[in-house]
Amino acid sequence: MLYRTAGQFKTSYKADHALFPVRQDAVLLWIIVFLAVVVFPLTASEFTFQALLIPVLIYSLAALGLNILTGYAGQLSLGTAAFMGVGAYATYKLITIFPEMNLLAAILLSGFFSAAVGAAFGLPSLRIKGFYLAIATLAAQFFLVWLFEKWAWLYNYNASGAIQVPNIDFFGIRVAGPTAKSIVQYYFVLGVVALMTALSINLTRGRIGRIWKAVRDMDIAAELVGINLMKAKLLAFAVSSYICGVAGALFVFLWRGAAEPNLFDIPLSFRILFIAIIGGLGSVMGNFLGALLIVALPVVINTIPDALGLDIGAAPLEHINTMIVGGLIIFFLIVEPLGLARLWQIIREKFIIWPFPH
Amino acid sequence: MIKLTRMAAMATVLAVGTAMYSPAAFAQDSIYVPNLSYRTGPFAATGIPLMNGQRDYVMMLNARDGGVGGVKLDYDECETGYSTEKGVECYEKTKDKAVVTQPWSTGITLQVLPKTNVDKIPILAPGYGFSPMADGKIFQWAFNPPAGYWDAASMILEYLSGGDMASLKGKKIAFLHLDHPYGKEPIPLFEAMAKKYGFTFLPIPVGLKEMQNQSAQWLQIRRERPDNVIMWGWGAMNAGAITEAVKTKYPMDKFIGIWWSGSDDDMLTVGEAGKGYKSISWSQPQPDSQAMADIKKYVIDAGNSLVENPDVDTKKVFYQRGIVISMILVEGIKAAQEHFGVKAVNAEQVRWGLENLDMNAETLAALGATGMVPPFKTSCGNHTGHSGAWMLEWDGAKFVPVSDLLQADQSAIEPLIEQKAKEYAEANAPWPVNNDCKE
Repeated sequence: MLYRTAGQFKTSYKADHALFPVRQDAVLLWIIVFLAVVVFPLTASEFTFQALLIPVLIYSLAALGLNILTGYAGQLSLGTAAFMGVGAYATYKLITIFPEMNLLAAILLSGFFSAAVGAAFGLPSLRIKGFYLAIATLAAQFFLVWLFEKWAWLYNYNASGAIQVPNIDFFGIRVAGPTAKSIVQYYFVLGVVALMTALSINLTRGRIGRIWKAVRDMDIAAELVGINLMKAKLLAFAVSSYICGVAGALFVFLWRGAAEPNLFDIPLSFRILFIAIIGGLGSVMGNFLGALLIVALPVVINTIPDALGLDIGAAPLEHINTMIVGGLIIFFLIVEPLGLARLWQIIREKFIIWPFPH
Repeated sequence: MIKLTRMAAMATVLAVGTAMYSPAAFAQDSIYVPNLSYRTGPFAATGIPLMNGQRDYVMMLNARDGGVGGVKLDYDECETGYSTEKGVECYEKTKDKAVVTQPWSTGITLQVLPKTNVDKIPILAPGYGFSPMADGKIFQWAFNPPAGYWDAASMILEYLSGGDMASLKGKKIAFLHLDHPYGKEPIPLFEAMAKKYGFTFLPIPVGLKEMQNQSAQWLQIRRERPDNVIMWGWGAMNAGAITEAVKTKYPMDKFIGIWWSGSDDDMLTVGEAGKGYKSISWSQPQPDSQAMADIKKYVIDAGNSLVENPDVDTKKVFYQRGIVISMILVEGIKAAQEHFGVKAVNAEQVRWGLENLDMNAETLAALGATGMVPPFKTSCGNHTGHSGAWMLEWDGAKFVPVSDLLQADQSAIEPLIEQKAKEYAEANAPWPVNNDCKE
């Protein structure tokens, strides 16, 4: 009913290849954009901004970076957090060396450092595959975190070994640092995430995306049809790390405000891998759905007993929370092993043919 | 399909229900004191006794006196699992109603510190956090009474020298620390002291992943043969270091830990073998004090405590330290109530209270807490109080004091505090500074 596609005729190839061939999808997107740009910022409290909206966006972006590498190009990586760290530390150095530099420029530039590091650690992918490659990227994870700890120049010889975000203005508006307003930070993050998402969508459905998918599905066959595997794989590592680097810079500068090296340790990598897997590998939308489940849901569950007036101790609540989220993850993976994005696709198809299933 | 619809309907009902239910208007007859607790995660073993102590003291006041100055204290915990991310989430969640933030980790303190200026909530970080917080002119909203990490470092050196710092000349002191902002805190002071008094200072970092297996570090200690080992450890690192020291037969009486490395539970695993191990501490268990008797009467016997084994656990150093921490907070609230003549004080008033704490011997006696913490006093320029501390020694079954009250060498600490506080303010410019404070 809502999703009836009858009467939507396509008269040109362009219309047939549009991002949303079904009109309702485009409407849905506009509703989401309207929510994100107008409704949420107007209604959100400080807590909602800092614990839900901003982190969900940043985690989605990081998962998107990983998804390009793992979901589209089929190269398993466990080094996501380290590549995020490269982005964060690069932004920090750029901002402290050139204090007058525009923050957006610094964040976008820092992605290139991350991309270079990512491509370097992607070199083993030319010879090894699958779990063996995951171990090679694990080396990046350990090495880079060790470097963040030991190379004091990176954190400007700060005694505590942590980096702290100074107050930064962006065209006269305070965007980073303790005095920045959450709503400003939210719009900044939203802008960058939207830009990166649009780029990734177009990248993955174009020529390069098809090359990556070919490599993912069977690299020997891809090579036989004339795809240069080295170029394809290294490009996937570079693009993926670029996005992760930008996500890492946002993570520290627009959200956390300070970071110690072990923040970028393996638990963060796993968290992002879970988001990508539960959201759906090889999907852009899945990252956002996954981040909602992994990042936002526990926060929401934590506030329920208070809202209902139940008195549960903090520690039991934390345990219950972990159990609920864990249970949901298993539930969703049983219902749809290909992730939340695929689940949504099935629901959508059902809506399209409803009420007359075959 | 029907199933899906039903599920969706249920989800909607739930969502609407939660949204409709707005939390009851916050009654002004209580003071909200949240605690960012960590009863879960890798540091839970040290967190639980501290949180229990903090909680039981507040429960006791509520049961015995009906709160503070006639206002109930609404003690609440927000679980962080010692994770910085969750800590910031908890801070955001509690800050609207809270009169204080108790961040409980150096990482969370560092994150929250710049925000408190904007949100106008005092941070209370007793004996931890960022040492330069002592400079109240720059860190107007942060408090780390009764003593900071640099005080501890100075007092440990003083104890080792037996009062004559010149005797440290030519000695070699190893510094086994967690490779984390917390563990690195005292290094600037140790380095300055090493230069001044001519001893060799040897930092040995323990990574977060190596906490439980420190064989490499202890191999280095065996090779270097330091005269003393000073430890800045936390959580699993303490037990790891102590077992390793026992295994490598390092003389225990040469081994001194910070106050967070002096938990009874870490020592009980080695028992007799740990005899002689020392820990500097600004708190001391006083199981026979009036405060403890009241807690037993009003909280533990009434069945309102979370302590599992009251006869043993309430005598431990960390539990009683938790009590002292709540005591400091409550005294700050009391001072604010008296000064402003308001019962339900707000965060700004509590800030004033914490800045004007006077925990002298009479106050402590009136609280029934003589000897639990040394007397100290804070002021607008001094947010730490520099109470001094005792050296406690493990006698095989419990910690016993083996020194008189030690005092830190403030002439070495003050310039460092001033310098580091200034650096922090400059790095975070524009940073508001309290220029009215003439001290």
